[in-house]
Amino acid sequence: MKVLALRGVRKVYRRSHLGRLTETVGLDGLDLEVERGEVFGLLGLNGSGKTTAIKLLMGLHLPTCGTVEVFGKPVPDIESLARIGYAPEAAYLNRALTGRENIRLFAALSRIPACEREARVLAMLRRVGLERGMDQRLSEYSKGMLQRVSLAQALIHEPELVILDEPVTGLDPLAIKEVRALILWLKGKGKSVLFSSHDISEVEKVCDRIGILSGGRLARVMTQEEWQGRPGALEEAFAASVTRTDGVGEIRLD
Amino acid sequence: MPAARALAVFALSAVVAVAVDGPLGRLSRRFPPLTELPATPFCAQDAALVELGFRAAAADLAWVQMLEYMGNGLPQLPDAPGHPYAHIAVLASRIVSLDPSFHRAYLYGASVLGWFPQVARPEQAVALLQEGLRRDPGQRLYLLYIAALAYKKEGDVPKMIALLDSTLKDPGTPTLMKEILANLYKSQGRYAKALEIWRDILDDPAAASDHPRARLQIEEIRALEAAGRGS
Amino acid sequence: MDTIKAVFDYTLREHVRSRAWLSAALFGLVLLGAGAIASVLAVNERGRMVLDLGLAAILAIGLVSMVFLTVRLVLQEIESRAVFLILTHPVRRWHYLLGRFFGTLAAVAIGMAGMGLVHWLLLEAFGWAPAGSYALAWVSILGQVALMGALALLLSLALTSEAAAMAFSVFFWVLGHFTPELRYIAERSGSGPLRGLILAFARAAPDFSRLDYAGARHAGTPAAWAAWAVLYVLAYGTACLALSAELFEQKEF
Repeated sequence: MKVLALRGVRKVYRRSHLGRLTETVGLDGLDLEVERGEVFGLLGLNGSGKTTAIKLLMGLHLPTCGTVEVFGKPVPDIESLARIGYAPEAAYLNRALTGRENIRLFAALSRIPACEREARVLAMLRRVGLERGMDQRLSEYSKGMLQRVSLAQALIHEPELVILDEPVTGLDPLAIKEVRALILWLKGKGKSVLFSSHDISEVEKVCDRIGILSGGRLARVMTQEEWQGRPGALEEAFAASVTRTDGVGEIRLD
Repeated sequence: MPAARALAVFALSAVVAVAVDGPLGRLSRRFPPLTELPATPFCAQDAALVELGFRAAAADLAWVQMLEYMGNGLPQLPDAPGHPYAHIAVLASRIVSLDPSFHRAYLYGASVLGWFPQVARPEQAVALLQEGLRRDPGQRLYLLYIAALAYKKEGDVPKMIALLDSTLKDPGTPTLMKEILANLYKSQGRYAKALEIWRDILDDPAAASDHPRARLQIEEIRALEAAGRGS
Repeated sequence: MDTIKAVFDYTLREHVRSRAWLSAALFGLVLLGAGAIASVLAVNERGRMVLDLGLAAILAIGLVSMVFLTVRLVLQEIESRAVFLILTHPVRRWHYLLGRFFGTLAAVAIGMAGMGLVHWLLLEAFGWAPAGSYALAWVSILGQVALMGALALLLSLALTSEAAAMAFSVFFWVLGHFTPELRYIAERSGSGPLRGLILAFARAAPDFSRLDYAGARHAGTPAAWAAWAVLYVLAYGTACLALSAELFEQKEF
């Protein structure tokens, strides 16, 4: 059973400045499906459309054409959002609040009953290792601590589908290891996970399937069997599938 | 909120706002438009404060400026030699155009216009008080002052004094009018009444700026009394 | 309602913790003190001047805080992307908008209430208790502040620029006090269509002169006036918030 599906999705960003209209294609006919209980990795270069695809799934963007469905319902759908946990690439949290207040807020927004809320907030903060700093304001948190609050808000309501946008970017090796363990733990609990990354080595360690995005399209989908036990297979497939679309040329070493 | 519902809520509330505007307008006091503000060098100051929503504060500031004019004069409104307080009518009118309920401004202006011998413009005093009756109804002092001015015009000073004396206990009576009355009593040799008024002024903390004058007057009247007894 | 309350709570907490809010409240208290000192100049009308200047200070601080905060209320969360995390939870966008708006209004109202309490105590201590209801005067100021906040929020979403929204908010505030003049001009204009046009323009901004308690205080029917004024504020404010909700619904982040 599919937890999410994007079919023929095209997203064009239109910007008008002083009467001059510019168009940028974010996604160009993307077809993508993720099955229940699987960990799916979205690999791609900068500007390949990973974040755009995730924003479409979360209802932050509307597709120019095509359909986006989560749990079989077209996006945006409030009921579906109650079953999704989302952590963006950076911790876009309210810095005036403490860690506990932030998680309390997201617990309330996620419809956790008031009588259960406090216990679940504490349990979640303990799970992400923030029980000591939870009453400090986020303005005093380190990057790693912020990332943990971001993960905590995504998981507080025990979602069926977890979407992580570049969860390991900028983290230290220990934190990367912890995020990897978390993804595998979620998989063990039967959750579906979709995450985007540049990091091929991370993706191959945890994913059941990966999709390589290039130029707003799904260039290739690979299953675990295709790269397991074959060192370099994924990297080769990636290099063969993608083309730069961000206008940046190669570094010349001659 | 679906677009149709949001637009329906907008349309409904806009209709209600327009419908409520009528009854609210009838119940709200209408302030005179700025076009009715008398021409003074302070027009820009008044208009700016009114348009920024500080009408009452603008009227208070105009009141302070009028008091300043009466005390030391205003550089923006110099008086011609021999014509002191020539601008008092326009300054009083300015205050009540900003806040028609500023009843002490009508009374103060009328007191100066009607009873200051150097000014002596009772017609303007009556006109100002009549404006008060029109714009700020329910203040009995306007009528009493108009009547007192009528007695003054007829030369019936005792009746005028009796009428003004009846207003002394009214909290709206400006200190200036009390002083005018005290001086009238003094000029008629009724020192006891004059002293009583100056002592009242001395006991009034709101009239603190008039206390030195009250003390001087009390001393002077006591001296006059003593001289009267001696002669 | 739970989501509105959750957004309301964090918005209120965020504002009350900000240094700008505390500075505004302290500055308001300084203004009250300055008004009390300046009132010495008013001689017999000292009580009136302390009352008027105090209410003017509460209005000024409330208004500036409300416009400044509401203009940035959503735009800043879009810029910092904090809105991403809120809206990717099961929150209706108009719930978010209402929670943010009323949280801000509550923060401003708390500051105004603090100023109001000090002001009222000052008036009572010197025996300058106002002739009318002080509470009604305070509520009428809150109504004006709330209305301007709703308008500023709408302008911020329509113009998507803080500076432009701020400038237009000031314009509407002034226009809302210019309404009596516009009506006066309309009454004297010979042409019917021109009269209609001027009156329509006058109606575009809320008529703040009608919400001024000082005006109603002497009209003799404060209860009836207050009832209509509340209805007017609610209707105009709802219209602004409904349009804001519609604009926010269309936004992509």
